[in-house]
Amino acid sequence: MAKPKLKPEIKTETLVSAAPKWNVVVLNDPINYQAYVVVAFMSVLRISAAEAKKLMRAIHAEGRATVWTGDRERAEMLSLELQQWHLNSLLEKDG
Amino acid sequence: MAELRLSMTQEARTVLSDLLRLIAPAAARVSVNRANVPANDEEIAGFWVDTLSAQASEEARLLAVAFASAKGDPAVILLPNEAQAHAFLRALSAVRFALRDLVFADITDAQLENAEDLDDESLPTEKRHALACYACFGLLQQSLISQLCPEAFD
Repeated sequence: MAKPKLKPEIKTETLVSAAPKWNVVVLNDPINYQAYVVVAFMSVLRISAAEAKKLMRAIHAEGRATVWTGDRERAEMLSLELQQWHLNSLLEKDG
Repeated sequence: MAELRLSMTQEARTVLSDLLRLIAPAAARVSVNRANVPANDEEIAGFWVDTLSAQASEEARLLAVAFASAKGDPAVILLPNEAQAHAFLRALSAVRFALRDLVFADITDAQLENAEDLDDESLPTEKRHALACYACFGLLQQSLISQLCPEAFD
């Protein structure tokens, strides 16, 4: 007797988990002048003077601000570059 | 971009150069010590320390050379391009941080932020002297930024 052919039902699904985002945070410091911080942001983050000033004011008012969010490798590079400008930057996982 | 110029009296140049000779070697070390280096990855941490250390040493050298070669009265430092101007700004920042950590450790951040209001008569002479240099380095930064990127000011 022939064995019945079993046609197994196979379901596949792809789980896509998004890589976690990382925040580059800059803390206020009493040494660097506001205009210096603006120049540093313009140079490192490639943003306009107006955007850089907005970030600088947020840091001055709140003591800290997230200046960039994205993948870890780029976040590490930006944080290092900001520290080369002697800004007090750190990395935090988003969420 | 036109070259950038910083000028100061010959006396100021001499005083600032003398202080730089003392503080510049420490400035590179302070920069590395202050950095928030990622602690969870030894390879990345090593890369950061090497990068920060090499850059801080190079910029301290640039600063020392610039002051030493400033000629005339007023003494003039010429910076030929934006990259050098940025390096000069960073080096001045490193020196200010070094002074903060090594000389003004007992002065609070709030006092230092309003250093012009500080009752400097109560400070010992060498600290008053360092405080004046700290302010001068800040003025040089402001002067450079006003030429490089005037829109950075409010």
